[in-house]
Amino acid sequence: MLAYFNKYSPAATLALFRVIFGIMLFLSICRFWAKGWIRDLYILPKFHFAFYGFEFIRPLGEWTYFLFGICAVAALMVALGVLYRFAAVMLFVSFTYIELIDKSTYLNHYYFVSMVSFMLIFLPAHASFSMDAYRNKRLLADQLPSWCIDSIRLLVCIIYFYAGLAKLNSDWLLHALPLKIWLPAKNDLPLIGSLFNYEWTPYFFSWAGCMYDLSIGFLLWNRKTRPLAFVSVIIFHLLTAILFPIGMFPYIMIVTAFIFFPGEFHQKVIDTISFALSLPIQFIRPKRSYIVSSITKPFLMAIFGLFFVFQITFPFRYLLYSDELFWTEEGYRFSWRVMLMEKAGYTQFTVTDASGKKQIVNNNDFLTRLQEKMMSTQPDMILQYAHMLRDHYAAAGFDSPQIYVDSYVALNGRMGKPMIDPAVDLARQTDSFQHKSWIIPFNDEIKGL
Amino acid sequence: MSMKNYLAILLTMIFLGCSDSKEKPEPEPEDEGKDRKAMLTHIADNIIIPSYDNFQVKFDLMVTKSNAFAAKPDAATLTEFRAAWVDAYTAWQKVELFDFGPGEKHTIRNFFNIYPASEQGINASIADPNASMETPDSYPKQGFPALDYLINGIGATDAAIIAQYTTAPNAAAKLAYIKRVTERMDSILDKVTSEWKGAYKETFITKTGLDIGSSTSLLVNGYVLHYERYIRSGKFGIPSGAMLNGVPAPEKVEAFYKKDISLTLAKTAHQAYIAFFNGKSVRTDGTGPSLKTYLDALGAKDSSTGKSLTELLNAQFEASQTKLNALKPNLSEEVKTNNQAMKDTYNEMQKAVRMLKVDMTSAMSITITYTDNDGD
Repeated sequence: MLAYFNKYSPAATLALFRVIFGIMLFLSICRFWAKGWIRDLYILPKFHFAFYGFEFIRPLGEWTYFLFGICAVAALMVALGVLYRFAAVMLFVSFTYIELIDKSTYLNHYYFVSMVSFMLIFLPAHASFSMDAYRNKRLLADQLPSWCIDSIRLLVCIIYFYAGLAKLNSDWLLHALPLKIWLPAKNDLPLIGSLFNYEWTPYFFSWAGCMYDLSIGFLLWNRKTRPLAFVSVIIFHLLTAILFPIGMFPYIMIVTAFIFFPGEFHQKVIDTISFALSLPIQFIRPKRSYIVSSITKPFLMAIFGLFFVFQITFPFRYLLYSDELFWTEEGYRFSWRVMLMEKAGYTQFTVTDASGKKQIVNNNDFLTRLQEKMMSTQPDMILQYAHMLRDHYAAAGFDSPQIYVDSYVALNGRMGKPMIDPAVDLARQTDSFQHKSWIIPFNDEIKGL
Repeated sequence: MSMKNYLAILLTMIFLGCSDSKEKPEPEPEDEGKDRKAMLTHIADNIIIPSYDNFQVKFDLMVTKSNAFAAKPDAATLTEFRAAWVDAYTAWQKVELFDFGPGEKHTIRNFFNIYPASEQGINASIADPNASMETPDSYPKQGFPALDYLINGIGATDAAIIAQYTTAPNAAAKLAYIKRVTERMDSILDKVTSEWKGAYKETFITKTGLDIGSSTSLLVNGYVLHYERYIRSGKFGIPSGAMLNGVPAPEKVEAFYKKDISLTLAKTAHQAYIAFFNGKSVRTDGTGPSLKTYLDALGAKDSSTGKSLTELLNAQFEASQTKLNALKPNLSEEVKTNNQAMKDTYNEMQKAVRMLKVDMTSAMSITITYTDNDGD
């Protein structure tokens, strides 16, 4: 074990990852900005769904553009390796802040970006091929501790593996859900479209996807299987890019997979670029190793140790809750559960008070379509929204308003049914990590993890 | 790879190639019902376009009768104008649901059927021939509801109404306003129908995806919204007070001034809605590819009972229809004397809304948002 922590690998691997990650993130932010989503998602909504425990993260109004600007600049600075540590902190803080503003925008790949940028704060990814190292020769190194690279690889492996574990359930494997619902929607694609009219196709995709997720991390890590694994990474993610609206994620995962390639590969890439830029050989091959000082080393070990304990255990917190995870979504987020559910809901809220006032709420008066869609299927958001309505109608003259919801939710092709007890006054319920007793039990079983 | 392996693979491929070409020439798609292009084509050619044609005929007739009334306002021309207005308003119920494509683009509904009409607004616009007919506050001053007021509600008796257009000091201005309203309706209808018969139809048929902006997605979103907002809420929820504070609003029914056709209009709209779902052709008696056949082809069903979603939906439509059949022709009167039956109708329709909004759109994998999504 100790010997492992003293092992060194080419710094080029982490340097190239830093460059690619920074550029991809910069492009993602530009794309987000260009599509007008900053306004649509963070400025126009009147109400935002804060994460439990992170209510101090407030929307910033027009300043949100500034926040995205910081994030974009920080991403570029990370790519170039300018004021790297500072830039990495800025990237992590600004990106994570954005993601915490509103639950309805939660995506697992944003969480992935947050986690990687958190790790980058502590990793010496600027020791090679960076502006910092170009100016500060004492920083410059072509070797760094192997664990620095392996820690990113480990996170990627966890993500894939856990995404695979999450697919080990009866809906996914035995009923090919939700792919059975999603794939026919793509039957008008050229060439492959007609495939999706066949009964077996969603089963094939479900099983292949599950096996891919469970094994790809190991196959990428293993030298012998790596070339084939990388080809399958490209095919798999390009296919998901064609089939599903998941934005930049497939491309980010494809380039992330480069981190599994051997150091010599990355060194060659950097050599080629450096040659084209006529960079001095001393910069490319300084023949120095990056030394983590003996003072900071224990801190780093502790941080990364805790980080991985968290990553490995946190997704299993759902086991602490009694009812079906897909129904209650208690312990669902931050667990690499992707593409698992076709869930749709309808909620109609009624506000009343003791004096007999009554109002049926039009959700569009308060929420965007995306927010309404997300809220309608997720109990914690239903409660948050009910509290917002309570405060709104209290201010509008209702005397301690009561909030009731008529909900109707369909999960993975089952007929819809009420999800929230319509007799419970949500204005009086409080959010917590406890099980929400006012969720009507699922009364069905999805077997598996 | 060794030579042996290579040959094995090559042989397999040749073998597969041969058997493919000989035994099963072209793998046919398993189910024709999943062909959205066929569905969109049938809907455009055999439902939407002929429905607009039918409406156009009734509408043109109404305009003719309205001109005749303007030329010589008397009991006979008024009666004919009214009858033509009823026919056109009824035919409108069969096209209002096409709230997507050109209909949505020109927001035809806003200019044809926003009720209750604003009496005050109409009178103000009569006085001011330059008043805007474009802004949202002008919606309740035009369309069928405005005509309803102008030919059925502007006087207590027929004689009083005719007097408004003959002896009243602003009689000419009122006649001019009727003309302004019908001309405006005509020009908007013209835009919508000419686009359906022009380039839009091709766009509609070829945008076969299900992502945001594609035809099926626009169609389903508009279709579902129509039931929820204009059939359930507009015709029953709002007048009965089931939606707001529980306070009944008998003056908010459709065709309030005509009084006795509000139920007919609601029934017509509801029937057209069901016929659309089941793909009933407007040209012939048959049916064609529709939301129903598409959902059936997808195999959407209640897994606990095995009943198909379309069966359940049609049963729910039927249940709403039964509630409608129990109502008397004047819905305004029903709100005043038999409001529970109005609320029951609303509640029955509410059940269909949930199934349309949740079960149907979910089974079809309709996208309602445009942002990235990782399916959680």
